[in-house]
Amino acid sequence: MSESGSGAVGEFIQGEEEPSSSWVVLAFGLVTSLTLLVLHGILYPSRDLPVISEILPVFDGVFDSGIWFFILGIMVGVFTIIATMMTEATSE
Amino acid sequence: MGDVLTSLILFWGLMLLTYFLMQNGLSIFNDVTKSMSHFMLEKALGPGIDLVEGRDGSASKAWFIQGMLWLIAASTLAFEGLWLKQDPTALHSLSAWGYDPTASSLIYASTYAALYGGIGMLLIGSSLHIMPRLAGTELASERNATLVSFLWTLSVLILVVAAHDSEILGVNIFLIGTGMHALGFIAIVINLLLTISDRQRALPVPGWLIIMGMLADPISTAATIITGSIQTGAGQWLLAHMVGGTFFFATAAGVALYVSSSASGNPLWSRSLGAATLVGALATINPVGDSNGMMAADMLGVTFEQLQPSSQDSIVMAFLMALAIIPIMALAANVMMTLRGGDAFIENSDSAGISELNLGASMLLPLAVASLFVQSDALSAAPELSGMAPTLLLMGIWLVLVPISLGAALHLFPKVTGRNLLSRNRARWAYWMMGGGAFVGLTVSIMSDLIDMSLIEAAVEDSSKLSADVQAVGAILFYGVAVGAIMHSLNAVSGLFRGTRANVDRATSSSITMEEYSLVSPTSVRKILAGGANLDTTVVPVGESEDAGSATEL
Repeated sequence: MSESGSGAVGEFIQGEEEPSSSWVVLAFGLVTSLTLLVLHGILYPSRDLPVISEILPVFDGVFDSGIWFFILGIMVGVFTIIATMMTEATSE
Repeated sequence: MGDVLTSLILFWGLMLLTYFLMQNGLSIFNDVTKSMSHFMLEKALGPGIDLVEGRDGSASKAWFIQGMLWLIAASTLAFEGLWLKQDPTALHSLSAWGYDPTASSLIYASTYAALYGGIGMLLIGSSLHIMPRLAGTELASERNATLVSFLWTLSVLILVVAAHDSEILGVNIFLIGTGMHALGFIAIVINLLLTISDRQRALPVPGWLIIMGMLADPISTAATIITGSIQTGAGQWLLAHMVGGTFFFATAAGVALYVSSSASGNPLWSRSLGAATLVGALATINPVGDSNGMMAADMLGVTFEQLQPSSQDSIVMAFLMALAIIPIMALAANVMMTLRGGDAFIENSDSAGISELNLGASMLLPLAVASLFVQSDALSAAPELSGMAPTLLLMGIWLVLVPISLGAALHLFPKVTGRNLLSRNRARWAYWMMGGGAFVGLTVSIMSDLIDMSLIEAAVEDSSKLSADVQAVGAILFYGVAVGAIMHSLNAVSGLFRGTRANVDRATSSSITMEEYSLVSPTSVRKILAGGANLDTTVVPVGESEDAGSATEL
């Protein structure tokens, strides 16, 4: 098809409204993930989760105090400000 | 004559000389000095000055935004410090990165971040907007003031790091931070002095408070260095309180008086009280502050000495601290009466910043009196109240200086940036989070301090867990301050881009506003206004008669 053909779409188009049934896809994905986790626990009761069990020990001794939940909240706030600055500065 | 009195006499003499020179100029050197200063502020900086814009209000905007961001850092450090008071190993995992903070180092760092980063930047940002308007002219160099804001931020960053560990690679980085801070301070003072030198009318009291407060900072430092008292504990304590009473208190007073009038639309309630605040701030010793001079000693690179004043110094310090209640009372009354105006209502109560200003003015006197007790106790040979001094300092910062400086910045924000804050509702929430968090959180922390002091006094060996539990509650409540600071910053940053234009009135609604008020009997205007009417409400007289009533005909 030539670029000048009537069927060519020259730019990216994004829908303005969210489809009403899109939450079904998200919910299905979540339920599937949880089911697989439970299934892994039943089939291989003595084995750790792959990948995740190797990453978690890295954080041993880091988040061992309640203060980290509060610091996490502050970090989310600070990153929100940074994100706001970036998006506002780069928006048209 | 003691160290304290000698330093004070020199300070007062230098301040009088400064005032004389400001009024009378430098005679034949006037033009040379002014043109040299203009050159140093802009041309001498070469291409660096072209990095920033020189539009009207750009300097204040830069100082405001950075000041608000510093408040987030300061509240976070203070929160962590309060938490570590009851759980010293909470952040021990950071030691893997070479960062091993303690409760005292975090609170010390938060003091620098709050005083010089948050409060200092917001006050200077407000001053850069206020002074040209009071003088009827323009800021001497908008671009230099904008550029200096980044130097100032860098200096505060170094001071915050130095508060944790003052020596890095064998170098005392406090001195580097102080040097950069002094450079920025001098540039701002010269900028403001040049602005005033072109004044078209007599400078009102708030203007004098701002400029004298700023000039008193370097002059008080010079006075203690010249007399040599900076080497003693009393001299270090004196310098810390002189800077607190002039740069922070007097400048905040000038800004608060200007904004209280500007925000409420009322004229300044009393010029005499304004003048009393000005003279009192310079002639007395402000009691709000730490009970030692560690900040002054560290920033000037001298060995810290414990406060052990001679009897003569003690008398002078106690007397001048008691006298300081006069200017403090004068300021609190003046701000609150100006906000209130001639009637029972604040005309623009919905404006962001007024609530903060009101909070700062309301807390000023009680905290000053409490500080007077603690500071007077610190002068004795065996202080008994020193355990609560750090928390009282935090209260002075977060319940007086931060509300006043932040309130002024929020009010001036639309005038400086040309846009309103994004959301008044968010500003209101942030006010309650910050004010409530600081008040309740620090009050609970003081309760924990009192428990500790009682246990120490009773010589109890097995310390109670109650103090730690109360401190944990205090720290968690203080977390609201960090959340409020983030909400204020987010509101301001978003307002810069998407806030409504400042010259467009926004529609406001209130549940108590009414379009018509039925007047059934003679009443006062006050009662009509209290009933929810405003200036546009139509008052409808309803007729009455003494005739017997009857059924209404349909």
